Amino acid sequence: MTLSSNPARCLILACGNTLRGDDGVGLRLAEWAEQRFEANEDVRVVARQQWTPDLAEEIAAAESVLFIDSSIKSVPGCVSLIAVEPSANHNGSATHHLDANELLSLAREIFGSHSAHSMLLTIGAGSTELGESLSDPVEAALPRAQGVLEKAVLRFLGN
Amino acid sequence: MSQTITIDPVTRLEGHGKITIHLNDAGEVENANFHVTQVRGFERFSEGRPFYEMPSLMARICGICPVSHLVASAKACEAIMAVRIPHTAAQLRRMLNLAQMVQSHALSFFYLSSPDLLLGMESDPVKRNILGVAAAKPELGRAGIGLRRFGQHIIELLGNKRIHPGWVVPGGVTEPLASAKRDEILAMIPEAHKNLRLALDAYKQIASSFKAEIGVFANFPSNYLGLINDDESIEFTDGALRLIDAKGNTIEDGMTATRFTEAIGEAVEPYSYTKFAYYKPLGYPDGSYRVGPLARLNIVSKMGTPQAEVELAEFKQLAAGPVESSFHYHHARLVEILYGIEKIEEILSDPKILDSHVRATAGVNRLEGAGQAEAPRGTLMHNYKVDENGKILWANLVIATGQNNNAMNRGVLQAAKHYVKDGKFTEGLLNRVEAVVRTFDPCLSCSTHAFGQMPLEVSLVDACGEAVDRVVRG
Repeated sequence: MTLSSNPARCLILACGNTLRGDDGVGLRLAEWAEQRFEANEDVRVVARQQWTPDLAEEIAAAESVLFIDSSIKSVPGCVSLIAVEPSANHNGSATHHLDANELLSLAREIFGSHSAHSMLLTIGAGSTELGESLSDPVEAALPRAQGVLEKAVLRFLGN
Repeated sequence: MSQTITIDPVTRLEGHGKITIHLNDAGEVENANFHVTQVRGFERFSEGRPFYEMPSLMARICGICPVSHLVASAKACEAIMAVRIPHTAAQLRRMLNLAQMVQSHALSFFYLSSPDLLLGMESDPVKRNILGVAAAKPELGRAGIGLRRFGQHIIELLGNKRIHPGWVVPGGVTEPLASAKRDEILAMIPEAHKNLRLALDAYKQIASSFKAEIGVFANFPSNYLGLINDDESIEFTDGALRLIDAKGNTIEDGMTATRFTEAIGEAVEPYSYTKFAYYKPLGYPDGSYRVGPLARLNIVSKMGTPQAEVELAEFKQLAAGPVESSFHYHHARLVEILYGIEKIEEILSDPKILDSHVRATAGVNRLEGAGQAEAPRGTLMHNYKVDENGKILWANLVIATGQNNNAMNRGVLQAAKHYVKDGKFTEGLLNRVEAVVRTFDPCLSCSTHAFGQMPLEVSLVDACGEAVDRVVRG
């Protein structure tokens, strides 16, 4: 398999753990995006428990990237969409897991990729304790997050 | 005043561990230990489960080498069932295990160790990581990602999941290989060869600049254990175990999984949750041995595939007998990746590989069973006892990291004695002590990996346990 033979214009890259409460909201949104864009070959959804260096290749094969993750720094249920730039501002201990900035940096260094658009959609997490359900504020924020996700993807695709 | 240097956690490993280095009054290293600080409970909580659930349960132990646990567990179950699996199923499992070996070795070499090897042990710790490698050697970054994808995509094609595939079951595999998947894997082979050759050539160019590290990175005589075929070639899934001594003489050959359970003991040390495996007839610690890529290449006389054969011959030129320095695990890992790529291609050319008969069935015919396989980091053994209904009464797992535990500890001590002088050390010198552990590519916590920000904290503690100095990286 070479990714270049099957590129997607827009890559949705979600991260989270569905066994840790609100940490799984990224994967819940990825599931929704899979269904919403099922018929659209320009959209590819990849959901992982963590973002690994291997994903740099997926990023390089796409024109635009929408990262989705929960955020423990935001107010529970707060939906945020921000632009992300390549950056290697880590503390020197990166091994298995990278953040959105570092993944973009890796894609640029290794594959010379420059995404047309790269955005990070976050949903503020309330509880990340063991459990498969979302907290009330995060559950309530899902429709809004879905709306932001849809709008961003359609904008990436020029629709 | 005596002091203790603590490196906690050791970075760029699978899981969490720490190193303590104990200094005497003169500031010389007296002792050093590598501690595994997390508890593994899989043996206990599998009790009471039906035996046929064990492969899928045991695969959850590890996100890096679930396939090895699947295979060893399925083989233990098949010993309970007393069945022989179909030829095609054995070949498909072999391919799956090799694919996992390729992706795991690529992770170890490119993501965890190449920052030390390509950027230097003394390089800026802020850049000494995969991002630094990508900036300095993008072609090698691409090769690493490509080899990881090669292995993971084969696992995904065969097992329908990249991690924790459930395709391997007691008796064989759940479904045969489709011709389209075979062709897709074959199409990936040329790129995998190209990526491996790039890495192997790069490694050979830089290896000579690490003579000092080669000299003190767990460089001592030891015994070695690994699977081998009847024709003396390397094996990862079937075959039987061979144990050799430091001079290369065979201590025991044809060791089955059942014999393993009799011959291998597990000692306990108070400073680690990981046990210390040893060969009982030699006692502990004399019966300690090494497993994994270095051990496997030391015990075999041939690889069984053309290009890997050439590389094995070159590898064996490193020493008159067994290659002793654990630094050479890196080299051995790359030779094994090459073997894996070649062997996968060979397996796919087996005329029976698309055969639909891939599973044997049976109930409980024995009340105990053991199965073994080679995980990327060494020999893995699963041993179960069941009641007449197939309920698990007892389980024991002997993992590769436990079998390398004594050598890792001795290696840490050897490197610490060389690099820590007069109680003084630098970050670069301590990185070398950590790098000794990395050569073994230990998997410490299996399913409970702790990723992300891994600061390095070094503390100087006096004889009374009072911290006299502390350095934090990250």
